[in-house]
Formats: sequence, structure tokens, C-alpha cells
Amino acid sequence: MSTRKNTPLQSLRVLSGIVLITWLVLPPIPLAIWSFAKGWYFPDILPKRWTLNAWEYTFSNTAGVIDSLWITIWISLAATFLSILIGVPAGRALGMYKFKGKEFIELLILAPVIVPGIAVVLGIHSVFLFMGLTNTVTGVILVHLIPTLPYMTLVMSGIFANYDAAFEDQARSLGASPFKTFWYVTLPAIMPGIIVGGLFAFLVSWSQYILTLLIGGGRVITLPLLLFNFATSGRNDITGAIGMIYILPGIVILLLTAKHLSGRSGAVGGFGQI
Amino acid sequence: MNKTIKTTLFATALSIASVNAYADTADGQALLNKSWNEIKTIAKGGEVNWFMWGGSDSINQYVSEYIGGILKDEYDITLNRVGISDTAEVVNIVLGEKEAGVTDKGTVDMIWINGENFRTMKQGGLAYCGYTDLLPNNTLVNWDNPSIANDFGVPVDGCEVPWSKTQFSFTHNTATTENPPRSIPELIEWVKANPGQFTYPAPPDFNGAVFVRHVFYHAAGGVENLLGEFDQAKYVEVSAKTWEILNDLEPYLWREGKTYPTTIAAHEQLYANSEISLTFNYEPAGVGIKIENGTFPPTSQGYGLTDGTIGNTNYTIIPFNSPNKAAALVLQNVLLSGKAQLEKAQPDVWGAAPAIEVDRTADDVKADFAKIKKHPKVAPAEELAKYALPELQASWISAIEKGWIENVGR
Repeated sequence: MSTRKNTPLQSLRVLSGIVLITWLVLPPIPLAIWSFAKGWYFPDILPKRWTLNAWEYTFSNTAGVIDSLWITIWISLAATFLSILIGVPAGRALGMYKFKGKEFIELLILAPVIVPGIAVVLGIHSVFLFMGLTNTVTGVILVHLIPTLPYMTLVMSGIFANYDAAFEDQARSLGASPFKTFWYVTLPAIMPGIIVGGLFAFLVSWSQYILTLLIGGGRVITLPLLLFNFATSGRNDITGAIGMIYILPGIVILLLTAKHLSGRSGAVGGFGQI
Repeated sequence: MNKTIKTTLFATALSIASVNAYADTADGQALLNKSWNEIKTIAKGGEVNWFMWGGSDSINQYVSEYIGGILKDEYDITLNRVGISDTAEVVNIVLGEKEAGVTDKGTVDMIWINGENFRTMKQGGLAYCGYTDLLPNNTLVNWDNPSIANDFGVPVDGCEVPWSKTQFSFTHNTATTENPPRSIPELIEWVKANPGQFTYPAPPDFNGAVFVRHVFYHAAGGVENLLGEFDQAKYVEVSAKTWEILNDLEPYLWREGKTYPTTIAAHEQLYANSEISLTFNYEPAGVGIKIENGTFPPTSQGYGLTDGTIGNTNYTIIPFNSPNKAAALVLQNVLLSGKAQLEKAQPDVWGAAPAIEVDRTADDVKADFAKIKKHPKVAPAEELAKYALPELQASWISAIEKGWIENVGR
């Protein structure tokens, strides 16, 4: 009930706020300026000449950015949805039950995060070739699950480690069907985890390059493919323009889920409990 | 009390790529016995997937809009340009397909290629070969010219078709550096007199490696001593001198040589920001394009070296397992045409030097070639051509790159 102010904690908050702004908000600003610049040289604070050339190219058919935006959104949403579908039961098993070989399974799930993608991607390519999944959107969605699933599963197992299944028993004993139990009891309890894990999954899928290029075989062009072309060739103006479009969905999703991402949310607190 | 257990099934709708219906021309041998008209007929209504470096909007526009337009309007072929950051990525796709036994349904129909990647394709049996005489515009190519018939010292043997020629050139900012060094020995002296004003991208960056080869040629007392197969004894002798020169230079480089830019893009950024005074690139026309699109200061000027700069030819190649070989052949023929090479040579389009003999083109094309006004800031082609140096065989190149990393980069 006390209302005393915790000054050290508050100044820590202000400090972390400043750090966050410097790291997350400031870097895109030069990128945005670059997208309208025609040359921007040291020591000018702002470009001397401005142009819409980069944006004109970005929205042209040649660039294909808009088509690729939709396909990238679709792939990332589908990969996120599938990650939730697999990650929630997997996280429940890992977080709530003890079974033989659990450590091994955990290691397997973590492996894609530890092993560099490039080391396995050629092997995956030949497996997908064999299964006829290369050059298709389906194939790209499925291959994105490899890097997205560890995040989803880890978050969910953290959630389930702090979850009391007795609530479910109670609901069942009061006559709720298994589906109703899941819908009214389990789901609300694990929702923060689904949102945080889903956000991770979406952003991880959103930023895939080499997996998309190899499995998509150039028929499935996602935004990172277009972006890296220009980022690696030093075209800051076009990189800036495509980059602005590239960060939009991330920002939208971040804003929509912001309230679940605060320190008080169970999802964040559950980390490290696995 | 038992209750009926309901299971909820989640269904995901996944899109499945449509199957193409036009003629499959994966069998390259069968095409060799056909006439050009037959090939055009087979290719009609098809598509061709061309994988190429995608980091230049002007090149992308030339390919997608100009070349793609011709293919659509005159041949009813859809060109799908696939932009990539590194050609080795595509070579890996083809290699992976070969290892997985995909011999007729490959992903890639054509690649913009040369050097090391070509060697990999040729030696790995990944290229479709022996078709060049089919192309009507092949008569415009001078296969007797060794710099066309050899790709970085590897004989082409009908496995690829030349597209453009290019030559290494330097760029200085006339506002800050009026008299740049015009040969490798001058450059070495200049760097020592102007500490912190020069650096080069660390090999294996493509352009950085070419710069190191210029120093290597200088240390060898001329490229004549290095032509042909890799010679270990020669390499040991020349490389020792080269590393000595470059290590002596290190303290005078940008940031005392403690670090090197890792890409040519980063190098050009340093130049654009006036952190260093000189830059260079294998694409001489790039200076004009970069001034126009604002990457470089307008006071930039391209120039060649009096002891020569290295030149090469770049090509297009058709993978052995391309299912659209007929359409790829039509595309190669269009690229070789006088009209397309002329458009590519226009300074506001790309400014790339033609790989065909302009003398062999139609009179009106010839006249238009003569009318081309180079961007004034681009090193004059004649000046560069006068002192053109050949590329070494890929075995030399990889040895020099490795040697630099071990002895200078460390």
C-alpha cells in the first residue's frame, strides 16, 4: 500500500529508456534521410540535394518491392502460425513434464540457434529438392520453421514451467469440456507467451536471407533478398527506402503487442526457467 | 463420466507453386541439332530465370525494362531477373541440385558470371556447353581475341557467352587531390607522403584482391612473367616481395592499416566521406553513374595507370540443368545484339563497354556507337585500353588472396 518513490529504480528506468532510444530509434533516422538524399557527404549535417529517385525505384515494377512485401508478410505470418501450433504443445511437454531424454530434446530444439545456418543449409537444400519443396512458398515457410521454432518453444516452456495445471483440473471438474478448458483457462494464462514467442517467430522469419534464397530458388523473393542487394552494394538511398518499408511490419506488431512486453508480463518473467 | 473427446484440427492453407505448361527444353543436346527459327518457336511463351548481382538500380532497369521488354514484345518470353548479392550463392544452388540429382528441372536458367565462379561451373560440369554457334549474333563476337576466349585464364570452350568488358580504374577527388599517383610505384611513394589517405578493401573482396594483384604484377616486374599455369617457385619469389611492399605501406594507410574496409562498398563510402582520397573499381563507368546518383562527389574523376590496369570480360552462362535452355539462348542472342550492346554502353543507362566487335555491327548501330558521349568524369576507354593488363589464372588469384590474408591481413 505504500506509495513511496523508488528513486534509484526510476533513474535506472530513465537510463534504460535513453539506451533503448539510442539503440532502437535513432539508427533508422539516417536511413530515412538517406532515402530522400542525392548524395550525403561528410561533413554535411543534412544532405545538400534531395530527390525522390530512390522511392520511385522502390515502387517501380522493376524493383518488385511491393509484391515482395505481401509475399514476405504471408510467409512470416504462416511461419508464425505454424510455430505457435507446434511450439505450444512442445513447450508444454518441456516445461511441465519430466521424461527420459528431455535434455537431449532440448538440445535438439536449441540446435538451430547454436549451429550457423550456412552449415546446414546445403543439406536442407538437397532434402527439400528430394521432397519437391524447393522454389515454392510452401518450402520457404517450412524452412523458416527451423530458426523460428526454438524461440517459440523456449518461450512456451518458460511459460509452462510457471503454469499450474490444477486450474485445468478445476475447470474440468466443474464440467467444462477439454476445448472449453483450453479456451477459457489455458489460453488466457499462456497468451503472453504466445504473443512474445509469436513476435520472435515473426521477426526471425521476417529477416531470413540464405534459407529463403536457397529454398525459394529466386522464385520466392522476400524483402531481405531485395534489401541485401542494395545494402551490400553501398546504395544507401535505395537501402534506406526499402529499409523503411522493411521495418514497418515489425513496428506495427511491436505496437500492437507492447502491453504484453512490459516487465510485469509472465512471458518475460518465465525466461530461464526451462 | 466419459465425455466425447473432441479433437480440434488446425488446417493451414499453403500456397503451392503453379506448374509451368510450356515446352521443357532441359535437353541441351537436342537443341544443338535445331535451327535458330525452331529454337525461337520452342522458346515462345516460356520464361527464363536470370540470376545476377542486383545491387545497381540502373543495371536492374536495363535488364528488366529494356531487355525484358524486347523478350516480351518480340519473342513472347517472360524474363524473371533474380537479384543476388554474391554470384557464388547461385553457383551453390546449381551445385546442390547436381549433387541431389536434379538434372533437368534446375532453378537457374542463366547466370551473370566470370572468374572463379566460371571455373567452378566448368570444372564441376555445371555448364551447358558447345551451343555458341547456334546464336546468330555469335558472329559479332571475336573469339580469336584471347581476352574473350579466356575467362581469367580459363578457356571458355563454348560454355559461356561474353556480355561486357570492363577494366580496373582509379578515382580521385579533384577538389582535394589534384595530382593523383598514376602508376603503382608512384602510388607507393604517394601513400608514404600522404599518410592516412589511402587504403584498400581486404581480400577476398573482389576489388581489393584486384588491387593487390596490381602490386603483385609490379613486384613481378610485369605480368608477362606470370601468365600460364600456377608456378610455385615463381609465386614464392614474387609474393615475398609483394607482402614486403604492402607491409611497409601498412603504417601509412587509413587508420595506420590496423583495419581494412571489408567491402568495396565500404571503401567507396570512405572515399565519398573524404576519409580517403582515392578509390578504384573494376567497373570504370561506375564513376559517372555514382556521381549522377549522388554516391560520389561531383568533383570525382576516373583515371587509368600508365603501367596499366587489369581488365576482364564478363559472361552469361546457362546451367546444365536449366529447363528453359531455348529461352535462355534467345536471351543470350538478344544481349549480344548490336542494339542491346549499344543501349548498355550509353552512359546514362550503364556505360558498360561492349563485348562484341562494334565494326561487325550494322552501319546505323556503328554510327550510334561513334556518337556515344562518355560521362566526362569516367576514365577514357582508349586511355585504359592502351594499357590493359590480362587477368591471371584462377589458381594464381586464389593463391595471392590466401597469401595476403596470411601475410598482410593477419
